[in-house]
This record gives sequence, structure tokens and C-alpha cells, in this order.
Amino acid sequence: MTEAYHEINSKFRKELAELHEEGESLNHCYQCATCSGICPVFRYNSKYNPRRLIEGMLTGKRDELIHDPNIWLCTVCHNCTEVCPQGVRVSELLATLRNLAARAGNIPEHLRAEAKVLIETGLVNAPSKATISRRAKMGLPELKTADPAEIRALLEHLDFIKLAAKEEKAVKEESGGGKQQ
Amino acid sequence: MASSSSGYAMFLGCVIPNLLPHLEISIRKVFGRLDVEVKDIAGFSCCPEPIGTPGLDITTWVTLAARNLCVAEEAGLDIAAFCNGCFETLKEAKVLLEHDAKLRSKVAEALSKIGREYKGRVEVKHFAQVLYEDIGPAKLRGYVERPLEGVRVAAHYGCHILRPSHLLQVDDPFNPVLLDALVEATGAESVDYFRKFLCCGCGVSNLDEAANIKMVMEKLHYMTQAKADCMTVLCPVCFRQYDVRQMIINKTYGKDYNIPVLYYTQLLGLAMGMTPDELDLKSNRTKVDPLLAKLAGGK
Repeated sequence: MTEAYHEINSKFRKELAELHEEGESLNHCYQCATCSGICPVFRYNSKYNPRRLIEGMLTGKRDELIHDPNIWLCTVCHNCTEVCPQGVRVSELLATLRNLAARAGNIPEHLRAEAKVLIETGLVNAPSKATISRRAKMGLPELKTADPAEIRALLEHLDFIKLAAKEEKAVKEESGGGKQQ
Repeated sequence: MASSSSGYAMFLGCVIPNLLPHLEISIRKVFGRLDVEVKDIAGFSCCPEPIGTPGLDITTWVTLAARNLCVAEEAGLDIAAFCNGCFETLKEAKVLLEHDAKLRSKVAEALSKIGREYKGRVEVKHFAQVLYEDIGPAKLRGYVERPLEGVRVAAHYGCHILRPSHLLQVDDPFNPVLLDALVEATGAESVDYFRKFLCCGCGVSNLDEAANIKMVMEKLHYMTQAKADCMTVLCPVCFRQYDVRQMIINKTYGKDYNIPVLYYTQLLGLAMGMTPDELDLKSNRTKVDPLLAKLAGGK
């Protein structure tokens, strides 16, 4: 979409460039939409359009993007990064965008649930009693996975437990700023 | 660090041992016969998975991965990953930690809180790389007792073994040879088909199941059109997408797709002369019978 120049806010690009080692590559985008052309999700769901998301990053639509639930539709196939003729690290930028969204509480329910299991067990698919007995019956060895307490300590230190519980505020906050929390 | 002769730490991940233990049977049986040793070691957590976790927080994702690298490092072993997702996470973390000083210091600080230090000496390989690079297709043929001659296999690489290629450094991201060569090592033919590199779509399945179903159906359609007798995959998540979803699609949408899905060690196991029972192929949702009949009749 065409934007009036006065609406462009470059603070967001700078923030993204700071957050990711290759975030700077964003500035090379010339909006050719090769990323959207190869995106397997966009083919079936036009709500997920990588080119539009990159455009939003370039023009500083921070609030709109980090509160958009559709940014989570990505399958993380990395096709976009591979084909970008300008070397924009599209999938890395989109992951960085999702990190900001998560900090604003925009987290889909299935990922909250997954994070909960990770925090509790250190795994995203923890063995059920049925699994344990099925494995034994099949003659497979007992699983010796990480001590959940160690993983939890690490996640606590990383503020991940707090992050996964973060709720999204209904009110929109200031746009273009670097401090959402 | 460790050379392949001392073996690898087996990184099975969360999906194979808990949801698809029959794949683990084929892994253990096949690797049990090969010259490369894969070892069980204690202490791995979730890799963690490369879709949701880095979406929530990239630093957490890399830190947990780095902790897993520490566990292998302490055991003096390189890692062989049996899931594309685990492979991407561990390999990408390794490469990012080599290049990104800011991230490296954040991760080191977090690991120090649990008394660990990552020294950067672990190599991470996908098990398909171990087969292709350490053993090689030519030598692999030497293990084949029942060549799968006349069998047309649709190879599905999956995304997370190939891309992002600048970090994973495995093969060409859209024109790889690795799995095709491994398929041909079994005596089968790796058939070309449209949409060979289409993502399995697992990442979108929770939020837009319809889109995911269409992605799976598209792939099944073109594999059928290419007259594939079966498909083979390198990732348990892709496996579930095509094996379990194929049944659901057939029931729900009145389709009649009939593409048996085999994890690569299941396919290789058959070629090595193992019986379907030994490989627990009956636990696959898709019926492998047509493929077995073709094998029995063909030779």
C-alpha cells in the first residue's frame, strides 16, 4: 500500500536492527514480493503476507504489527529468506517481530500451552504413562531427559516464564516507540 | 570435536520417543547394523522446537539449544539429530553462537547460572548427513540385501534440514541431492514430482488447519500424479503430517490418497532385509501393504 511520507516512522526499523544481528538487512527491501510469492501460507491464506509485514516494519507500523494475531501464521519454512533478491533476512526479522509481539502479550493459545509444558517438563511433548508403558512393551530404553528443575531455573533466569504468562492489553500504546513494556 | 569413529550422541527429540516410538525402532535397528555408532546419553531437554519457541523469544531458544550442546560436549560426542526441527535448532544455535557476539554473551551468562559453559566444540549433524557424508551412498549400498528395485519413492526433505541454508550448510536449499542419493542407495528410484519442496505445514496447523490440509493435499496429489509407490521423510513432524493427516483427509474429504509414508530408516531397513514386523511398520497409519506386495512380486 502506498503511504504518505509523513506517516513513515523509522524508529521501528532501528529497533529491529538493534534486536537482530541481521536486522539491518530490512533496509534493503524494495517490495518486490518474491517472499510472498514463495510463501506456502500466503498461497492459502492471504492474511499472512510477508511483503506487507516487511512494509509495515519499514514504515514503522509497530503497534499494528505487534498486535496482529496473523503474524503467527508462519510455518517458519524460511523460503522467504532464501529467495529474497536483496538478501533481507525475512524469516529472522519476522521471528524478531514475533518476539516483540510476545512481549506485548500477543501469544497464540497453542504456544502458551506449549510453553507451559516446556516450563514444567523441559520438553514440548512429555511422555505420558501410556507412552512409557508402550515404549517398555516395544523394548525401547527408558528416556533419560534433562532434569526439569534445571530447565526451569534456566527459563526463570531468561524471564521466559513471565513472558509466557504475559497478557495482551486491550488499549493500544504509543506507536513507533522502543519501549512497549 | 569427536570424529565419526567415536560415534554420535543420539538426539531423538520429543516427537519420536513420545509420539512415534515405532520410528525409533527402525532407527535403532538400522544404526545397530551400520559402522557408525549412535549412543544414548542422558540429559537432553527439548531442542527446543524451531517454530514457536524462537517466535516467543530467540534468546531463550538459543540458550536451551546451547545447553543441549553442552550436554553432548561434556559427553565428548557430536550430535546426530533424528528430527529436522531438532537439527535446525541445534545447528542454527551453534552457528549463531559462532557469529553473534552479543547473543553469545547473553547465552553464556544464562548458562553460567546453571553451572554450564558451552565451549563451541560440538558438531551437529542430521542423521541423513551422517549416512550421506560419513558412510556415503556407495558404501550404504553394501548394506542393502534386498534392493528396492522398481519402487518409485517420492523424497520429501522437509524445510528444517535445508533452510536457512546460510546457517544450516547442508545442501542446496531448493535443489538438494542428499535424500535422493540415499533413496537410490536402497535400489529404489527417486521420482521427480511437482511441489517437492513444499513445506508440510505443521507450523500453521494450530491456527489455520484448512490451509494446512490444503498444503498436505497438494503434495499428496502431485506424488500420486508422479505414480509414487511411497514417500520417504527425514522428519517425524513431516511424517505425522503425511501419515496421520492422509487418513484424516481421506475420511473427511472423501479422498482416496494411498501414499505409504516411510521414515527413511524404515525404507532403508526394508532394503537391508529387515521384515515389516521387525520394523513395526504396522504402526504406521498409512498402509504399506501395496509397497510390500510390489516388493514381493517384483523380485
